[in-house]
Amino acid sequence: MHRFLRITVLLTGLFAAFSIYAAESQQSVPMTEDSLGPLVEQPIEFPHNRHAGDADKGGMQINCMYCHTYARRSAVAGIPPLQKCIGCHQSIESVRETPRIKKLFEYWEAKKAVPWKKVHDLPDFVRFNHERHIKRFIEQQNRPFQEVCGYCHGNVKEMTVARRSKGLTMGWCASCHQKDHTVVAEGGTPIGTQAYWYTFYKPEVEDASAGVLKAKGPNDCWRCHK
Amino acid sequence: MMDSGFDRRDFLKVMGWSGAAVALSGCGNTSIEDGKETLVSYVEAVDYQIPGVGVYYNSSCAQCDAGCSINGKVREGRVLKLEGNPASAINRGKMCGLGQAGVQHHYNPDRLREPLLRNGGSGETITWEKAYALISEKLKGVSGEEIAFLSGVVSGHLKVLLGNYLSSLGSKNHFVYEALAPGVVRAANKKAYGVEMPRYNISKAKVVLSFGADFLGAWVSPVHFSQQYAQFRKGVDGQRGVLIQVEPKMTLTGANADRWVPIRPGTEGILALGIINALGIATGDIAAAVKGYDKARVSKETGVPPGHIDKIAAILKLRSPSLVLAGGAAEGYAHGSQNAAAINLLNHVLGNVGKTVEASAAVPFPQMAPAKGNTAALKSLNDGLAEGKYKVLFNYAANPVFTAPGAMKFKDNMAKAGFKVAFAHYMDETALQADLVLPLESALEDWGTQVPEYMAEGAQINILQPLMENVHPNTRSIGDILLALLKQSRAEEYKNYEDFYAYLRSALVQNKAALGGHAMDEDAFWNETLTKGIIKLVGTTAALSGKAGISGLKLPAPAEIDEQYPLQLIPSVNISLRDGRHTNQPWLQESPDPLTTIVWDSWMEIHPKKAAELGIVEGDIVEITSRIGSIKTQAYLFPGIHPDAISVPIGQGHEAMGRYAKGYGVNPLKIMDAVFDRETGELAMHETRVKVSKTGQRVIVVKDESAAGAKQIREKIAGRVYTDNVDLTKEV
Repeated sequence: MHRFLRITVLLTGLFAAFSIYAAESQQSVPMTEDSLGPLVEQPIEFPHNRHAGDADKGGMQINCMYCHTYARRSAVAGIPPLQKCIGCHQSIESVRETPRIKKLFEYWEAKKAVPWKKVHDLPDFVRFNHERHIKRFIEQQNRPFQEVCGYCHGNVKEMTVARRSKGLTMGWCASCHQKDHTVVAEGGTPIGTQAYWYTFYKPEVEDASAGVLKAKGPNDCWRCHK
Repeated sequence: MMDSGFDRRDFLKVMGWSGAAVALSGCGNTSIEDGKETLVSYVEAVDYQIPGVGVYYNSSCAQCDAGCSINGKVREGRVLKLEGNPASAINRGKMCGLGQAGVQHHYNPDRLREPLLRNGGSGETITWEKAYALISEKLKGVSGEEIAFLSGVVSGHLKVLLGNYLSSLGSKNHFVYEALAPGVVRAANKKAYGVEMPRYNISKAKVVLSFGADFLGAWVSPVHFSQQYAQFRKGVDGQRGVLIQVEPKMTLTGANADRWVPIRPGTEGILALGIINALGIATGDIAAAVKGYDKARVSKETGVPPGHIDKIAAILKLRSPSLVLAGGAAEGYAHGSQNAAAINLLNHVLGNVGKTVEASAAVPFPQMAPAKGNTAALKSLNDGLAEGKYKVLFNYAANPVFTAPGAMKFKDNMAKAGFKVAFAHYMDETALQADLVLPLESALEDWGTQVPEYMAEGAQINILQPLMENVHPNTRSIGDILLALLKQSRAEEYKNYEDFYAYLRSALVQNKAALGGHAMDEDAFWNETLTKGIIKLVGTTAALSGKAGISGLKLPAPAEIDEQYPLQLIPSVNISLRDGRHTNQPWLQESPDPLTTIVWDSWMEIHPKKAAELGIVEGDIVEITSRIGSIKTQAYLFPGIHPDAISVPIGQGHEAMGRYAKGYGVNPLKIMDAVFDRETGELAMHETRVKVSKTGQRVIVVKDESAAGAKQIREKIAGRVYTDNVDLTKEV
């Protein structure tokens, strides 16, 4: 009896505690396609608009992948090494004395990495592969890179520090992956079993002789949940 | 165990309910945490370094002395996974579980990080400069004879450097100790074949008769032998090879054999001579000498049914070439040399020498050949220590306080040395007794060269190179330490070598012509060497020269059963834990023993018949008592052991060495008698006699095996062992 009571009390207590914790914890607003993430304060307020923006708005129109060079070669996009910033900025005298660049050179001279904050954070059980998406949209379909990066990262060329502008939930991923993408044999687009990769379900063969498939996403959970 | 009445099951129930509570109250997308984690980029990046993409380096495995070559995956500057290097003839791209666990040696949380100086009962952190100065001070006025250096197997440039250091001290006392080295077999091979370790061609043999050589598990070069074994099973000329294993305690190799023959411990030599007699193909003095070993007598002495002896002889006669191996179970007696000699004689009689027992290649730099470890070295060191001969004792890569038999009282004798220096990765039992403990780099951080004792094909030198930067910045390479100590007395001679790396590079580059790099410039040769991780050489081959001789071969009659201590203790070798130096790697603790499937603990194997006689059931805590002392562990009923023997695995029972080793299981070596092989002076591992008694306690044995599995293996073994009605050729 004594033991039973003890367990009951513990159980009730824990149940209550967890319930309160779960109820009180910060609830995210249900994500919509253009729900904005929080503003994140960075050690240096990096002006994406100045680097990647359109020329008529004072931007340098630099390709995203000039700095985020790992995106096309690895699952993770990475942050450019400090060396890369300095590589250009050591010969741009006009902005050398601005506060942000001065701060940048302070890090460089101390040979210390800039502690950037992560803006696009997926849960640890999700593996998103940058390389594969870039291969598909930029290399195979030859779409403009700013559009392609923008599918997930939004219109970064008009931001200063990046801010999340897409939901990045599984449902949001599915909103793209469940569209009936027509996958054809032309233009180097893989067909057959490889079409499985793009959608969530087994592709439907529309017209086998024409090599046209309708693909619906990675049909294996482990494609993302490894 | 828990007194509160709140056990694991209740805890899980509560946790389950709490989980449900969380689910009910509905928390949504809380795991996306923008702006909370820090992303640290490189300050300067090298081209090949891409976050998320691995780079691979070749190096060598240092988990055992087989000398396998490895290929390590490094990502973001961290080594993640090791695989075999396909270019090595020893392991051909494969690797064993022990090798895989190498990363746990490297990242082990219990690694030593700073030099420690004994201050009463605890260690005080000191600087390296102070440590070196202290060694120099303690060596002042001490003659070479009063200095002893104990080490495990060393080879390559480290051995050269160590030799130079000892000669700079004027000392010849280098003791190379390996607890599980095949010392007796080496000596017997030297007599029978002219070389200590010939090349065993398992893949060419049609029958392998192994006397306790666990070549698939832990004997000499198991990864290499496993691959040879696969070839052997595929067969020569379409005939699948037949494996017969003779041993008192079933090993992994025994479990894979077509026929496992349990034999009375210590009578392996008698059976070998009995088989020679049954073969009837020997001539001259051999035939005369084995005449007395007729079936009836051999069967009576060894416990092997006469029909078995006939069948073994018949299949050896039918299929040639065969291969006979003498292993750990045969050599562990006072007459171990005689056993091994009798077994090797079988190879001569069967005409296998030159066919499946071949000359082995050796590296053409004898100074780099491995200093082979044995147990005779431990005895002479121990005797010296007991007499108080040594004022300074160095210890590297050996843990004799743990592995020396209890009867030797090594720990007490070690205390008689004036100043004890241990070069160690962990605070193990021996380091704990030292006055100065110097922390070493792990094998994945260190530079070096390895020359394996067992060469698979041609000779090779293995390269050891760092896969990543030091996890603990204040650990040092043993090579760097020896170089620094050498500079204390020979500064002029070594001034060109800033560190061990410089020494190694210069030593290899200077000899590049002999190492296959005559057409390359120095940098090209060095880069190629590091890229490949192996230097392959045209080795010198020592021809087999031994003769089949029976003179001097005299096998004692089987030991009488001792009334007081009726059972033979077999300290068995676990394929993961070996001599206990890897017990602190949790993957190895977690891997079930292949035969009993027990994890994280010790056990005593006992034959079910014997257990029934003593009233022991599985899980009984039993006390095993020898002349030296006693240990307590759980009983496991195992049909794969001779009823006159019990077996306790080596490797557990650490009293130090960190959280994953300390306090698990018992150490059977603690109750071991110090009996030595009469010819070689090697420790006789199987000569301890014990008695077993119940303590009245009982536990549930933690193991993977199910009741059905246990029944299966029991039927497989027990059903076959006691029948005489076997035809090996039809079974396979």
